[in-house]
Amino acid sequence: MERFGYIRAASVSEAVALLNEPGLKSRALAGSTDIILQFRHDPHYCDRLVDISLIPELRRIEQRGGWVHIGAAATFSDVMSNPSVIASAMVLAQACRAVGAVQIRNMGTLGGNVANAAACADSLPALICLDTVANILTPAGGQALPVSQLVTGPNRTVLPPGGLLVSFSYPVPDSGSRSAFLKLGRRNAMAISRLTVAAMGRLDEHGRVAEARLVTGSATPHIERLIVVEQALTGQQPCAELYQHAANLAVDEMIRLSGFRWSSEYKVPALTAMTARVFAQVFEVGEA
Amino acid sequence: MKLQFNLNGCHVEIEAPADTSLLSVLRDYLGLTGTKEGCGVGECGTCSVLLDGRLVNSCLTLAAQASGRQVVTIEGMSLPDGSPNDLQQAFIQYGAVQCGFCTPGMVLAGEALLASNSQPTRLEIREAIAGNLCRCTGYQQIVDAIQSTAQKRQEVNPNA
Repeated sequence: MERFGYIRAASVSEAVALLNEPGLKSRALAGSTDIILQFRHDPHYCDRLVDISLIPELRRIEQRGGWVHIGAAATFSDVMSNPSVIASAMVLAQACRAVGAVQIRNMGTLGGNVANAAACADSLPALICLDTVANILTPAGGQALPVSQLVTGPNRTVLPPGGLLVSFSYPVPDSGSRSAFLKLGRRNAMAISRLTVAAMGRLDEHGRVAEARLVTGSATPHIERLIVVEQALTGQQPCAELYQHAANLAVDEMIRLSGFRWSSEYKVPALTAMTARVFAQVFEVGEA
Repeated sequence: MKLQFNLNGCHVEIEAPADTSLLSVLRDYLGLTGTKEGCGVGECGTCSVLLDGRLVNSCLTLAAQASGRQVVTIEGMSLPDGSPNDLQQAFIQYGAVQCGFCTPGMVLAGEALLASNSQPTRLEIREAIAGNLCRCTGYQQIVDAIQSTAQKRQEVNPNA
Protein backbone atom coordinates (compact mmCIF):
# COMPACT_ATOMS: atom_id res chain seq x y z
CA MET A 1 0.00 0.00 0.00
CA GLU A 2 1.50 3.29 -1.07
CA ARG A 3 1.75 5.90 1.66
CA PHE A 4 1.65 8.64 -0.93
CA GLY A 5 1.46 9.22 -4.65
CA TYR A 6 3.91 11.03 -6.89
CA ILE A 7 3.47 13.31 -9.85
CA ARG A 8 6.00 15.43 -11.68
CA ALA A 9 5.04 18.99 -12.62
CA ALA A 10 6.36 20.31 -15.94
CA SER A 11 5.77 24.00 -15.24
CA VAL A 12 5.13 26.40 -12.39
CA SER A 13 1.49 26.87 -13.34
CA GLU A 14 0.97 23.12 -13.53
CA ALA A 15 2.60 22.71 -10.12
CA VAL A 16 0.25 25.26 -8.53
CA ALA A 17 -2.75 23.58 -10.17
CA LEU A 18 -1.66 20.15 -8.93
CA LEU A 19 -1.00 21.46 -5.41
CA ASN A 20 -4.52 22.85 -5.31
CA GLU A 21 -6.39 19.92 -6.86
CA PRO A 22 -9.49 19.37 -4.72
CA GLY A 23 -9.84 16.17 -2.67
CA LEU A 24 -6.08 15.50 -2.42
CA LYS A 25 -3.65 16.78 0.17
CA SER A 26 -0.62 17.56 -1.98
CA ARG A 27 2.79 18.87 -0.97
CA ALA A 28 5.63 20.17 -3.11
CA LEU A 29 8.68 17.90 -3.39
CA ALA A 30 11.99 19.51 -4.28
CA GLY A 31 15.20 18.05 -2.82
CA SER A 32 13.38 15.27 -0.93
CA THR A 33 16.08 15.16 1.78
CA ASP A 34 13.71 16.36 4.53
CA ILE A 35 10.34 15.28 3.20
CA ILE A 36 11.23 11.56 2.94
CA LEU A 37 12.14 11.59 6.64
CA GLN A 38 8.93 13.49 7.44
CA PHE A 39 6.90 10.47 6.30
CA ARG A 40 8.62 8.27 8.88
CA HIS A 41 7.32 10.58 11.64
CA ASP A 42 3.93 11.13 10.05
CA PRO A 43 2.76 8.55 7.48
CA HIS A 44 -0.27 10.76 6.75
CA TYR A 45 1.80 13.84 6.00
CA CYS A 46 0.11 14.16 2.61
CA ASP A 47 -1.60 12.10 -0.10
CA ARG A 48 0.63 13.07 -2.97
CA LEU A 49 3.97 14.69 -3.66
CA VAL A 50 4.21 17.11 -6.55
CA ASP A 51 7.80 17.02 -7.82
CA ILE A 52 8.85 20.55 -8.73
CA SER A 53 12.59 19.87 -8.83
CA LEU A 54 12.90 19.53 -12.59
CA ILE A 55 10.99 22.67 -13.62
CA PRO A 56 13.68 24.74 -15.41
CA GLU A 57 12.27 28.07 -14.22
CA LEU A 58 12.60 26.98 -10.60
CA ARG A 59 16.29 26.12 -11.04
CA ARG A 60 17.28 29.39 -12.69
CA ILE A 61 19.69 31.84 -11.03
CA GLU A 62 20.11 35.20 -12.72
CA GLN A 63 21.06 38.80 -12.06
CA ARG A 64 18.63 41.29 -13.57
CA GLY A 65 17.97 44.95 -12.90
CA GLY A 66 19.96 45.28 -9.69
CA TRP A 67 18.53 42.09 -8.20
CA VAL A 68 19.68 38.50 -8.03
CA HIS A 69 16.82 36.03 -8.55
CA ILE A 70 17.23 32.45 -7.40
CA GLY A 71 14.66 29.78 -8.30
CA ALA A 72 13.27 28.04 -5.23
CA ALA A 73 14.35 24.61 -6.50
CA ALA A 74 17.98 25.68 -7.02
CA THR A 75 20.11 23.31 -4.98
CA PHE A 76 22.68 24.42 -2.42
CA SER A 77 25.35 23.22 -4.88
CA ASP A 78 23.82 25.38 -7.64
CA VAL A 79 23.72 28.47 -5.41
CA MET A 80 27.18 28.17 -3.84
CA SER A 81 28.86 27.81 -7.24
CA ASN A 82 26.91 30.51 -9.07
CA PRO A 83 29.14 33.42 -10.19
CA SER A 84 26.45 36.09 -9.56
CA VAL A 85 25.90 34.84 -6.02
CA ILE A 86 29.62 34.60 -5.29
CA ALA A 87 30.20 38.12 -6.63
CA SER A 88 27.31 39.75 -4.80
CA ALA A 89 26.62 37.69 -1.69
CA MET A 90 29.47 35.62 -0.30
CA VAL A 91 27.34 35.23 2.84
CA LEU A 92 24.81 33.14 0.90
CA ALA A 93 27.43 31.10 -0.97
CA GLN A 94 29.16 30.29 2.33
CA ALA A 95 25.86 29.44 4.04
CA CYS A 96 24.94 27.01 1.26
CA ARG A 97 28.40 25.48 1.46
CA ALA A 98 27.89 24.94 5.20
CA VAL A 99 24.86 22.68 4.60
CA GLY A 100 25.34 18.93 5.18
CA ALA A 101 27.76 17.32 2.73
CA VAL A 102 27.98 17.04 -1.06
CA GLN A 103 25.09 14.55 -1.28
CA ILE A 104 22.70 16.81 0.66
CA ARG A 105 23.86 19.98 -1.12
CA ASN A 106 23.28 18.30 -4.51
CA MET A 107 19.64 17.54 -3.65
CA GLY A 108 18.57 20.03 -0.98
CA THR A 109 17.10 23.30 -2.22
CA LEU A 110 16.90 26.87 -1.02
CA GLY A 111 13.10 26.74 -1.20
CA GLY A 112 12.97 23.59 0.88
CA ASN A 113 15.25 25.06 3.51
CA VAL A 114 13.01 28.13 3.80
CA ALA A 115 9.69 26.26 3.64
CA ASN A 116 10.84 23.82 6.33
CA ALA A 117 12.06 26.79 8.37
CA ALA A 118 14.13 24.80 10.83
CA ALA A 119 15.59 27.03 13.55
CA CYS A 120 19.03 25.83 12.43
CA ALA A 121 18.43 26.29 8.66
CA ASP A 122 21.75 27.58 7.35
CA SER A 123 20.36 29.62 4.47
CA LEU A 124 17.86 31.64 6.53
CA PRO A 125 20.26 34.05 8.30
CA ALA A 126 22.06 34.68 5.00
CA LEU A 127 18.85 35.33 3.06
CA ILE A 128 17.53 37.64 5.79
CA CYS A 129 20.89 39.45 6.00
CA LEU A 130 20.47 40.22 2.27
CA ASP A 131 16.88 41.52 2.75
CA THR A 132 15.69 38.72 0.48
CA VAL A 133 12.12 38.67 -0.74
CA ALA A 134 10.29 35.38 -1.38
CA ASN A 135 8.07 35.23 -4.46
CA ILE A 136 5.04 33.02 -3.89
CA LEU A 137 2.43 31.85 -6.38
CA THR A 138 -1.09 30.79 -5.39
CA PRO A 139 -4.14 30.16 -7.61
CA ALA A 140 -5.20 33.73 -6.73
CA GLY A 141 -1.95 35.18 -8.08
CA GLY A 142 1.56 36.11 -7.07
CA GLN A 143 2.76 37.79 -3.92
CA ALA A 144 6.10 38.87 -2.56
CA LEU A 145 7.03 38.67 1.10
CA PRO A 146 10.34 39.34 2.87
CA VAL A 147 11.81 36.04 4.07
CA SER A 148 11.95 37.52 7.60
CA GLN A 149 8.16 37.84 7.51
CA LEU A 150 7.53 34.56 5.70
CA VAL A 151 9.33 32.57 8.40
CA THR A 152 7.65 33.41 11.70
CA GLY A 153 9.36 30.89 13.98
CA PRO A 154 10.94 27.45 14.17
CA ASN A 155 9.17 25.28 11.55
CA ARG A 156 6.53 27.99 11.12
CA THR A 157 5.83 30.01 7.99
CA VAL A 158 2.93 32.02 6.66
CA LEU A 159 3.20 30.32 3.27
CA PRO A 160 -0.46 30.14 2.20
CA PRO A 161 -1.96 26.64 1.81
CA GLY A 162 -1.53 25.57 -1.81
CA GLY A 163 1.04 28.32 -2.32
CA LEU A 164 4.29 27.56 -4.10
CA LEU A 165 7.60 29.23 -3.33
CA VAL A 166 8.78 30.20 -6.80
CA SER A 167 11.93 32.23 -6.23
CA PHE A 168 13.95 34.46 -3.97
CA SER A 169 15.18 37.92 -4.92
CA TYR A 170 17.73 40.04 -3.13
CA PRO A 171 18.98 43.50 -4.12
CA VAL A 172 22.62 43.46 -5.25
CA PRO A 173 24.45 45.05 -2.29
CA ASP A 174 26.05 48.46 -2.81
CA SER A 175 29.50 48.42 -4.34
CA GLY A 176 32.20 47.84 -1.72
CA SER A 177 29.96 45.64 0.42
CA ARG A 178 31.45 42.49 1.86
CA SER A 179 29.66 39.68 3.61
CA ALA A 180 30.47 36.48 5.46
CA PHE A 181 28.81 33.52 7.17
CA LEU A 182 30.17 31.53 10.09
CA LYS A 183 28.78 28.27 11.41
CA LEU A 184 29.43 26.48 14.64
CA GLY A 185 28.63 22.78 14.65
CA ARG A 186 29.83 19.83 16.68
CA ARG A 187 32.13 18.73 13.87
CA ASN A 188 33.32 20.15 10.57
CA ALA A 189 30.98 18.30 8.23
CA MET A 190 27.43 16.96 8.33
CA ALA A 191 26.73 18.99 11.46
CA ILE A 192 23.47 20.59 12.49
CA SER A 193 24.22 24.22 13.26
CA ARG A 194 24.48 25.06 16.94
CA LEU A 195 24.91 28.70 16.06
CA THR A 196 25.41 30.71 12.88
CA VAL A 197 26.10 34.35 12.10
CA ALA A 198 25.56 36.17 8.81
CA ALA A 199 27.02 39.62 8.42
CA MET A 200 27.39 42.24 5.73
CA GLY A 201 29.03 45.64 5.76
CA ARG A 202 30.54 48.50 3.83
CA LEU A 203 32.98 51.27 4.72
CA ASP A 204 32.69 54.92 3.62
CA GLU A 205 35.49 56.94 2.01
CA HIS A 206 36.86 57.80 5.48
CA GLY A 207 37.13 54.16 6.44
CA ARG A 208 34.15 54.34 8.82
CA VAL A 209 31.28 51.88 8.83
CA ALA A 210 28.71 53.10 6.29
CA GLU A 211 26.47 50.07 6.72
CA ALA A 212 26.46 46.96 8.87
CA ARG A 213 24.06 44.04 9.05
CA LEU A 214 23.97 41.08 11.42
CA VAL A 215 21.64 38.10 11.59
CA THR A 216 22.05 35.10 13.88
CA GLY A 217 20.76 31.57 13.33
CA SER A 218 19.84 28.98 15.99
CA ALA A 219 19.91 31.83 18.52
CA THR A 220 16.48 33.47 18.50
CA PRO A 221 12.97 32.11 17.81
CA HIS A 222 12.40 34.60 15.03
CA ILE A 223 15.32 35.18 12.66
CA GLU A 224 15.75 38.89 11.98
CA ARG A 225 18.37 41.58 11.48
CA LEU A 226 19.71 42.77 14.83
CA ILE A 227 19.14 46.48 14.26
CA VAL A 228 20.56 47.50 17.66
CA VAL A 229 23.90 45.94 16.75
CA GLU A 230 23.84 47.40 13.25
CA GLN A 231 23.18 50.94 14.53
CA ALA A 232 25.97 50.71 17.10
CA LEU A 233 28.47 49.98 14.32
CA THR A 234 27.33 52.61 11.83
CA GLY A 235 29.58 55.66 11.61
CA GLN A 236 32.30 54.06 13.74
CA GLN A 237 35.93 53.31 12.92
CA PRO A 238 36.26 49.53 12.59
CA CYS A 239 38.54 48.00 15.24
CA ALA A 240 38.67 45.02 17.57
CA GLU A 241 37.02 46.97 20.42
CA LEU A 242 34.12 47.91 18.17
CA TYR A 243 33.59 44.27 17.12
CA GLN A 244 33.66 43.28 20.79
CA HIS A 245 31.06 45.95 21.59
CA ALA A 246 28.90 44.67 18.72
CA ALA A 247 29.33 41.12 20.03
CA ASN A 248 28.17 42.12 23.52
CA LEU A 249 25.10 43.82 22.04
CA ALA A 250 24.34 40.76 19.91
CA VAL A 251 24.41 38.59 23.04
CA ASP A 252 22.09 41.04 24.84
CA GLU A 253 19.68 40.81 21.91
CA MET A 254 19.81 37.00 21.92
CA ILE A 255 18.97 36.91 25.64
CA ARG A 256 16.25 39.55 25.23
CA LEU A 257 14.59 37.64 22.37
CA SER A 258 15.09 34.06 23.61
CA GLY A 259 15.43 34.42 27.38
CA PHE A 260 18.29 32.83 29.30
CA ARG A 261 17.98 29.17 28.28
CA TRP A 262 19.74 25.93 29.16
CA SER A 263 22.04 26.42 26.18
CA SER A 264 22.86 30.04 26.95
CA GLU A 265 25.90 29.23 29.03
CA TYR A 266 27.38 27.78 25.83
CA LYS A 267 25.88 30.19 23.35
CA VAL A 268 26.86 33.45 25.08
CA PRO A 269 30.64 33.03 24.74
CA ALA A 270 30.19 31.33 21.35
CA LEU A 271 28.08 34.13 19.90
CA THR A 272 30.46 36.74 21.36
CA ALA A 273 33.43 35.20 19.59
CA MET A 274 31.56 34.53 16.33
CA THR A 275 30.13 38.05 16.07
CA ALA A 276 33.52 39.68 16.66
CA ARG A 277 35.11 37.28 14.14
CA VAL A 278 32.51 37.75 11.40
CA PHE A 279 32.76 41.56 11.58
CA ALA A 280 36.55 41.32 11.46
CA GLN A 281 36.16 39.28 8.24
CA VAL A 282 33.71 41.79 6.77
CA PHE A 283 35.57 45.00 7.61
CA GLU A 284 39.23 44.04 7.58
CA VAL A 285 39.99 43.85 3.89
CA GLY A 286 42.85 41.52 3.18
CA GLU A 287 42.68 39.88 6.59
CA ALA A 288 39.58 37.79 6.05
CA MET B 1 3.84 3.26 -10.79
CA LYS B 2 5.88 2.55 -13.90
CA LEU B 3 9.46 3.76 -13.71
CA GLN B 4 12.04 3.89 -16.44
CA PHE B 5 15.56 5.21 -16.22
CA ASN B 6 19.06 4.67 -17.47
CA LEU B 7 21.02 2.50 -15.04
CA ASN B 8 24.75 2.12 -15.62
CA GLY B 9 24.20 2.74 -19.32
CA CYS B 10 21.26 0.34 -19.71
CA HIS B 11 17.59 1.21 -20.06
CA VAL B 12 15.56 -0.15 -17.13
CA GLU B 13 11.78 -0.37 -16.73
CA ILE B 14 10.11 -1.54 -13.56
CA GLU B 15 6.85 -1.28 -11.66
CA ALA B 16 7.18 -0.07 -8.06
CA PRO B 17 5.02 1.86 -5.56
CA ALA B 18 5.46 5.64 -5.74
CA ASP B 19 6.84 5.80 -2.21
CA THR B 20 9.76 3.43 -2.91
CA SER B 21 13.22 4.87 -2.40
CA LEU B 22 15.80 4.68 -5.16
CA LEU B 23 17.92 2.61 -2.76
CA SER B 24 15.16 0.02 -2.38
CA VAL B 25 14.55 -0.17 -6.12
CA LEU B 26 18.26 -0.74 -6.76
CA ARG B 27 18.71 -3.40 -4.08
CA ASP B 28 15.31 -5.09 -3.73
CA TYR B 29 13.81 -4.76 -7.20
CA LEU B 30 16.92 -4.89 -9.38
CA GLY B 31 19.20 -6.98 -7.16
CA LEU B 32 22.10 -4.53 -7.34
CA THR B 33 23.32 -4.89 -3.77
CA GLY B 34 26.56 -2.95 -4.23
CA THR B 35 24.73 0.14 -2.99
CA LYS B 36 24.44 -0.26 0.79
CA GLU B 37 21.92 0.90 3.34
CA GLY B 38 23.58 2.33 6.42
CA CYS B 39 21.82 4.98 8.47
CA GLY B 40 18.81 5.42 6.18
CA VAL B 41 18.64 9.14 7.01
CA GLY B 42 21.26 10.65 4.71
CA GLU B 43 24.14 10.91 7.14
CA CYS B 44 26.48 8.02 6.35
CA GLY B 45 26.73 8.16 2.55
CA THR B 46 27.05 4.42 1.97
CA CYS B 47 23.94 4.53 -0.26
CA SER B 48 25.55 7.15 -2.53
CA VAL B 49 24.86 6.92 -6.25
CA LEU B 50 25.26 9.33 -9.16
CA LEU B 51 22.02 10.89 -10.40
CA ASP B 52 22.62 12.75 -13.66
CA GLY B 53 26.29 12.77 -12.66
CA ARG B 54 25.71 14.26 -9.23
CA LEU B 55 26.39 12.40 -6.00
CA VAL B 56 23.17 11.85 -4.00
CA ASN B 57 21.96 9.70 -1.12
CA SER B 58 19.72 7.05 -2.69
CA CYS B 59 17.99 6.48 0.68
CA LEU B 60 16.61 10.04 0.57
CA THR B 61 15.71 9.92 -3.12
CA LEU B 62 12.47 8.48 -4.43
CA ALA B 63 12.87 6.08 -7.32
CA ALA B 64 10.19 8.15 -9.04
CA GLN B 65 12.51 11.17 -8.92
CA ALA B 66 15.06 9.21 -10.94
CA SER B 67 12.56 8.35 -13.65
CA GLY B 68 13.76 9.48 -17.08
CA ARG B 69 17.21 10.25 -15.68
CA GLN B 70 20.65 8.61 -15.50
CA VAL B 71 21.70 6.60 -12.47
CA VAL B 72 25.18 5.19 -11.93
CA THR B 73 25.89 2.77 -9.09
CA ILE B 74 29.07 1.05 -8.02
CA GLU B 75 28.18 -1.77 -10.43
CA GLY B 76 28.66 0.74 -13.25
CA MET B 77 32.18 1.68 -12.17
CA SER B 78 34.11 -1.45 -13.11
CA LEU B 79 35.91 -1.98 -16.39
CA PRO B 80 34.04 -3.75 -19.22
CA ASP B 81 35.57 -7.10 -18.19
CA GLY B 82 34.23 -6.64 -14.65
CA SER B 83 37.61 -5.94 -13.06
CA PRO B 84 38.05 -2.91 -10.76
CA ASN B 85 38.78 0.45 -12.39
CA ASP B 86 41.87 2.46 -11.50
CA LEU B 87 40.28 4.18 -8.51
CA GLN B 88 39.00 0.89 -7.13
CA GLN B 89 42.43 -0.64 -7.73
CA ALA B 90 43.97 2.25 -5.78
CA PHE B 91 41.57 1.60 -2.89
CA ILE B 92 42.94 -1.97 -2.74
CA GLN B 93 46.55 -0.88 -3.13
CA TYR B 94 46.40 1.79 -0.39
CA GLY B 95 44.48 -0.32 2.13
CA ALA B 96 41.46 1.96 1.82
CA VAL B 97 39.13 -1.05 2.15
CA GLN B 98 38.78 -2.77 5.49
CA CYS B 99 35.24 -3.95 6.28
CA GLY B 100 34.22 -2.57 2.88
CA PHE B 101 30.76 -1.33 3.79
CA CYS B 102 31.52 2.33 3.02
CA THR B 103 33.61 1.50 -0.05
CA PRO B 104 30.95 1.69 -2.80
CA GLY B 105 29.86 5.13 -1.59
CA MET B 106 33.46 6.26 -1.13
CA VAL B 107 34.42 5.21 -4.66
CA LEU B 108 31.43 7.08 -6.12
CA ALA B 109 32.22 10.16 -4.00
CA GLY B 110 35.78 9.97 -5.31
CA GLU B 111 34.64 9.62 -8.92
CA ALA B 112 32.18 12.51 -8.51
CA LEU B 113 35.01 14.70 -7.24
CA LEU B 114 37.47 13.70 -9.97
CA ALA B 115 34.86 14.35 -12.65
CA SER B 116 34.70 18.02 -11.67
CA ASN B 117 38.18 18.54 -10.22
CA SER B 118 40.94 16.50 -11.83
CA GLN B 119 43.66 17.67 -9.43
CA PRO B 120 42.06 18.07 -5.99
CA THR B 121 44.04 19.01 -2.89
CA ARG B 122 43.88 16.73 0.14
CA LEU B 123 41.51 19.22 1.79
CA GLU B 124 39.24 19.15 -1.25
CA ILE B 125 39.24 15.35 -1.17
CA ARG B 126 38.34 15.38 2.53
CA GLU B 127 35.49 17.81 1.83
CA ALA B 128 34.27 15.67 -1.06
CA ILE B 129 34.04 12.56 1.15
CA ALA B 130 32.71 14.42 4.20
CA GLY B 131 29.29 12.87 3.68
CA ASN B 132 30.69 9.33 3.66
CA LEU B 133 31.46 7.77 7.02
CA CYS B 134 34.17 5.13 7.43
CA ARG B 135 34.61 3.51 10.83
CA CYS B 136 37.66 1.42 9.91
CA THR B 137 40.35 3.22 8.01
CA GLY B 138 40.60 6.65 9.62
CA TYR B 139 40.22 8.10 6.11
CA GLN B 140 43.93 8.63 5.39
CA GLN B 141 44.17 5.65 3.07
CA ILE B 142 40.99 6.68 1.26
CA VAL B 143 42.36 10.18 0.67
CA ASP B 144 45.65 8.61 -0.49
CA ALA B 145 43.82 6.36 -2.96
CA ILE B 146 41.82 9.22 -4.49
CA GLN B 147 44.85 11.49 -4.65
CA SER B 148 47.07 8.91 -6.32
CA THR B 149 44.34 8.14 -8.86
CA ALA B 150 44.08 11.84 -9.68
CA GLN B 151 47.84 11.99 -10.22
CA LYS B 152 47.92 8.87 -12.38
CA ARG B 153 45.02 10.02 -14.53
CA GLN B 154 46.79 13.36 -14.97
CA GLU B 155 49.95 11.57 -16.14
CA VAL B 156 47.98 9.48 -18.63
CA ASN B 157 45.88 12.40 -19.87
CA PRO B 158 47.48 15.77 -18.98
CA ASN B 159 44.67 17.72 -20.64
CA ALA B 160 41.92 16.26 -18.45
